[in-house]
Amino acid sequence: MGWGLILWRVLLRPLRREPARAGLTVLAVALGVAVTLAIDLAGEAAAGSFRSSVETLAGEADFEITAIGGVPEETVGALARLPLDLRVRARIEAAGFAPDGGFVNILGADFLEGADEAAAPAEGGMRRGALVSAAMGVAAAGEVRVRVGERTLAWPVAGVLPATAATRGVRLVLLDIADAQESVGRLGFVDRILIRGPRGMSPEQLEEALRGSLPDGVLLQPAGASTEENRKMLRAFRWNLRILSYIALIVGGFLIYNTISVSVVRRRADIGILRALGAGRAFVLGVFLAEALAIALVGSAAGVGLGRLLAEGSVAMIAGTVNALYVGSRPGAIVLTGPAVWLAASGGVVVALVAAWAPAREAAGVAPADAMGRGRKEYRERLRAGRLFGWSAALAAAAFALARLGPVDGKPFFGYGAALLAVAAGALAAPGLTRWGVRAAQAAAVQLAGIEGLLALRSLGATTRRTSVLVAALATAVAMMASVGIMVGSFRETMIVWLGDQLKADYFLARPGRSGTFDAALADRIAGLPEVAAVDRFRMYPISFRGLPSVLASGESRVVLTSGMTRFLDGDREDALDALPSCDCVIASEPFATKHGVRAGQTVELPLAGRMVRLRVLGVFYDYGNERGMLVMDRGRMLRHLPDTALTSLAIYAKPGSDPRAAIERLLAGAEVLLASNAELRRGAVTVFDRTFAITYALELVAILVAVMGVAGALLALVIDRRRELGLLRFLGASRGQVRKVILCEAGMIGLLANGAGLVLGVALALLLVFVINKQSFGWTIQFHWPVAALVSGLTVVYAATVAAAIYPGRVAARLNPIEVMHEE
Amino acid sequence: MEPALRFVNVSKDYLADGARVSALNGVNLEIGPGQFAALVGRSGCGKSTLLNLAGAMDFPTHGEVFIGGEPTSALDDARLTALRRRRIGFIFQSFQLLGTLSVAENVETPLLLAGERNARARALAALRWVDLENLAGRMPHQLSGGQMQRVAIARALVHEPSLILADEPTGNLDSATGNLVIGVLRRVAAERGVTVVMATHSAESAAAADLTVRLRDGRVEETAAR
Amino acid sequence: MRLLLCLVSAAALGADFRLALPGYRFEFPRDHGPHEEFRTEWWYFTGNVSAGEREFGYELTFFRQAVDEEQGREGGSAWRLRQIYLTHFAVSRISGGRFHHASRLNRAGPGIAGALPGRVWNGNWSAVWKDGAIHLVASTEEFGVKLTLIPDKPPVIHGVNGVSQKAEGAGRASHYVSLTRLRTTGEITVEGKPVAVSGLSWMDHEFFTNQLTEDQTGWDWLSLQFEDSTELMLVRIRRRDGAADGFASGTMVDVRGAGRHLTAAAFTMTPGATWKSPASGAEYSVEWRIEVPGESMACSIKPALREQELVSRNRFSPTYWEGAVRAECRRDGRPVRGRGYLEMTGYAGAVQLSR
Repeated sequence: MGWGLILWRVLLRPLRREPARAGLTVLAVALGVAVTLAIDLAGEAAAGSFRSSVETLAGEADFEITAIGGVPEETVGALARLPLDLRVRARIEAAGFAPDGGFVNILGADFLEGADEAAAPAEGGMRRGALVSAAMGVAAAGEVRVRVGERTLAWPVAGVLPATAATRGVRLVLLDIADAQESVGRLGFVDRILIRGPRGMSPEQLEEALRGSLPDGVLLQPAGASTEENRKMLRAFRWNLRILSYIALIVGGFLIYNTISVSVVRRRADIGILRALGAGRAFVLGVFLAEALAIALVGSAAGVGLGRLLAEGSVAMIAGTVNALYVGSRPGAIVLTGPAVWLAASGGVVVALVAAWAPAREAAGVAPADAMGRGRKEYRERLRAGRLFGWSAALAAAAFALARLGPVDGKPFFGYGAALLAVAAGALAAPGLTRWGVRAAQAAAVQLAGIEGLLALRSLGATTRRTSVLVAALATAVAMMASVGIMVGSFRETMIVWLGDQLKADYFLARPGRSGTFDAALADRIAGLPEVAAVDRFRMYPISFRGLPSVLASGESRVVLTSGMTRFLDGDREDALDALPSCDCVIASEPFATKHGVRAGQTVELPLAGRMVRLRVLGVFYDYGNERGMLVMDRGRMLRHLPDTALTSLAIYAKPGSDPRAAIERLLAGAEVLLASNAELRRGAVTVFDRTFAITYALELVAILVAVMGVAGALLALVIDRRRELGLLRFLGASRGQVRKVILCEAGMIGLLANGAGLVLGVALALLLVFVINKQSFGWTIQFHWPVAALVSGLTVVYAATVAAAIYPGRVAARLNPIEVMHEE
Repeated sequence: MEPALRFVNVSKDYLADGARVSALNGVNLEIGPGQFAALVGRSGCGKSTLLNLAGAMDFPTHGEVFIGGEPTSALDDARLTALRRRRIGFIFQSFQLLGTLSVAENVETPLLLAGERNARARALAALRWVDLENLAGRMPHQLSGGQMQRVAIARALVHEPSLILADEPTGNLDSATGNLVIGVLRRVAAERGVTVVMATHSAESAAAADLTVRLRDGRVEETAAR
Repeated sequence: MRLLLCLVSAAALGADFRLALPGYRFEFPRDHGPHEEFRTEWWYFTGNVSAGEREFGYELTFFRQAVDEEQGREGGSAWRLRQIYLTHFAVSRISGGRFHHASRLNRAGPGIAGALPGRVWNGNWSAVWKDGAIHLVASTEEFGVKLTLIPDKPPVIHGVNGVSQKAEGAGRASHYVSLTRLRTTGEITVEGKPVAVSGLSWMDHEFFTNQLTEDQTGWDWLSLQFEDSTELMLVRIRRRDGAADGFASGTMVDVRGAGRHLTAAAFTMTPGATWKSPASGAEYSVEWRIEVPGESMACSIKPALREQELVSRNRFSPTYWEGAVRAECRRDGRPVRGRGYLEMTGYAGAVQLSR
């Protein structure tokens, strides 16, 4: 109780006296915690939704069987006849478009399925027609029309599916499997077979038993494996995002360090008195750690609530990124889980305690006599900038060494380690840099801002330790902004150049939303137009390769060879494109090659329509369109294995001097395909790209906000600590405006130093991001590029925000009563 | 001739812990140009309040303060600042040098704040006048107490004010050094014709003044010329 | 004479199916196989087997039902609902006093269920004719059978001139053949443990198109295998008013395997004590008294287990009682014991009949 009382008196009561400053520090921690939590929750929500509604409707299963191009349907009978108590269910999965153009999932299932189960629904059983989800907006006994391929199909509506999590808001038409097979043209094949094993049989035993009776070239996976694969694929992305979110917390850590340092300086006399009265070093250490803990706990508590709110906003952004970069996903519900809250809040507490450790230890080292003798104002800083510089250089060297190491489990651990070391090196260099920068800027400051500038810089120079922490915090935020800005800008530029190379065709045809296929006959009709020189028929199959989702595609090598411009980074382009049509060969995209360690000359094995096919890799080409990675075959060759002629997209090359748009549009009348010109497609790609990185900009903004709040809080502290000096200036003839100007000048100098240091650190981090972290996480080669305009505007905004942060402290300074502050003891 | 400082029936009340405390009560005072006046009395008798009013740092509750014949109650903050820049110099018990500025920089600060030219030369001249020109480049913490207070005097007179207000200038000094400082202040009044008003409770210091004003409970108890 | 499927079938009476008309000439093994030109067909296996003191009854029945709308259409999906297979499977643990049953409903689809010469299957439940024997395999997570059935007698064709008439009118009949004495060995699995068993089984195979009329709501069928190596099959059809109509019939099989047709006038079936099903609420006459005056035979029939009701879990098959029974008879004044199977349908609500 006694200790608690002392804690209250020496610790919390002073905090209460400065609500604005304490509030800012708490808010900074809250924001840091909120952002990490929000990113965690929103990432989970965005990634948790990969189980498509169709998959969810498929029901419980232990294993699923799929194959590129479909599983031969006899497999269903063969599995049903196995001497095992299996439940075998076949599915047709397809997509179509409603009359209003909306995307419709079509699921074919055996309507007799489950009729012999104890829990069979009374309404189940044989029905003529379709069961539809409420979102189709069709009543029972009505008719549902869906355009599939080139045909519009109509089924009587036999019933409306009950609203469940799987069907709510999803357009779904459930057909008997026979109807589905015939409508979507999958005779002889099913898309998925779901297997449920007998009770008491281990998955390993079951897999063993199933494998023996499956034809070659079908994929047997635990049920939900594709969801698992998608989550796995997203892991690197979410991991990178989470790291970015920690930056705000780290910046918050700098501010805690600053706050506790200020407390220690101010209460030096109190510490001396407490020590003289019998408090041990451990108690003093505890007092200041407790102060940090109090700030962290209040901040974390507020951050959890705030994070839940921020998650709502972030989920759409993250889902946008996931959609653009990976696969279609539906954002799930945000679930505030115990572990997520615990992780974020403990992140805030740990960062706070680590940040408070050094100043708290220094406080504990204060000798009673020393503190009381000299009094709080006479406390001089002990700063060994030289030694810190040495450490900084050592860390930078370590960062450089780490950056040269490879990824671990697909994640650039060492790259991030290097980034963290670089930030630490920057922080350690900050005091020396601040001291040097303040000295160097003095003449210019006096020139520009007169005595106020001189006073500001001298004051900063005298409090180098405090100032350098602020500079480090703000510089870290600026560095993050600059590095991500440079990385995104470089990526953007690289992609635009690549688009210019890649998209040589004049028009492109695809399904709206680029999902689903269209009839090849349409391509033939377009190819026959007199204005058209050539077409490149492109088909994509989603595949699973070595446990990761990927894409198998086919195009027309001859057209690409003569008209297209695919650039290769491994293998000879001409030779590869020439050889593609005449062998079972593929070319691999760079992300595919990086992810699976595939090089030209190697072979990959793929199950195609029930056969394992060995495909030789002829080359690796640059591709920035698909993070999953892609294998491309020649179309003619692929049709031998997968006879489905439907197309995913079509590139159309016009004859010189003619524009086939009008003619093509006449052919397209009524077809659910979108025609985009070369320019439109490029614009669209850039729009998607920008949307992809929206979340990173939001994260940067928060980190900068935290840093700027820190600047405001720290300046406020500085004003309060220097109130006597500021009051004296008034006695010496300074106007209020001049006092305010001193504070603004200080902020301006902090901003300048932070922007400078941040830019340098930012470029270092950008190099890490572009050449180490990005390459290891996503497998793209990005050309380094300076996004000058974005950087300049970003730095300007940060600078303006920093100066703006001084407005309130400046006002407080100007309003100080000089008589009171001069006579205070 | 207009007195350098004139108080007409000046009262000053403060609110302290909700209660009204009278710091000055009906003070009438005139101090002429070039006079060296000492304010004496016990702690809390109103010396500092009187100095603050004299320095245009505060306003009286009743009455009027004239500085160089100008009534201060009619002035806004900007004009008061201008008045201080032109007419007033302050000296404090604990010297109040700006620790981050060098000696010369400290001295030139009032000129720079007022936006005047030739600040450095005038500052050096002021330092020369207090015999500290050789320490112009030092930092305050490198000086002795007496040196610091002489720098403070140089700073107070660098802009050639008509009135210098000194609050216990010898309070933090030993008596020998204190005497030295008092000597400088006497010279300021005598040689430069600047009115010096000094609050002190040192009888020795007060004895050096031309005029002694004894305050008691916010009233002028006695005014004695030497 | 057996249970009918009750699929919703809107097609015109008869469609293009062949009717069961007099003069059909059976030929084996061809006629053990499927007859898809008839709308409905079934293979019924029932038997009483034992392992020492432990007695079991079993039933494994494959029904095939053609769906009218899908007939005549060629090509298209293999999943078209042309033939539906319903299989009922039950094991009566007579010594243990427990009855297990399960059912399976599948379309023929791509080999999921079907019937070929020498083979009938529904998933992995199957009956396979091979080397003069019939092999039955069926199992669920709870119970299973794996039995080999060897005929001791040739097939018996019921009725007159190859048809078993069920109602007034041409084609209101079925082609009906039985293997009345099948020596049975193999194993029955209950509670996860296989038990080696032996005993006797009975097979019915019947195919037809429109055998019953609207006012016929159910039937009572009985098969008995006597210890003197003779067998008896009796069936009577009930009308909506509950009375037996005139279309009852039976067959007495002698030691050599020759069947003698019994007309409705040649026997009587009198219901005795009843058992009310807690599951369906139906009240079944689980005890019967039968008399076949022409054979100087009178029997008292008692169930081996009262609770042998197959409760339907879907709307495609009816709820009915089918179970092992014991017969105490006197023939020519001498006591004769027999074992057999009794089926009673239409008690748990009228059976919706396939016309």
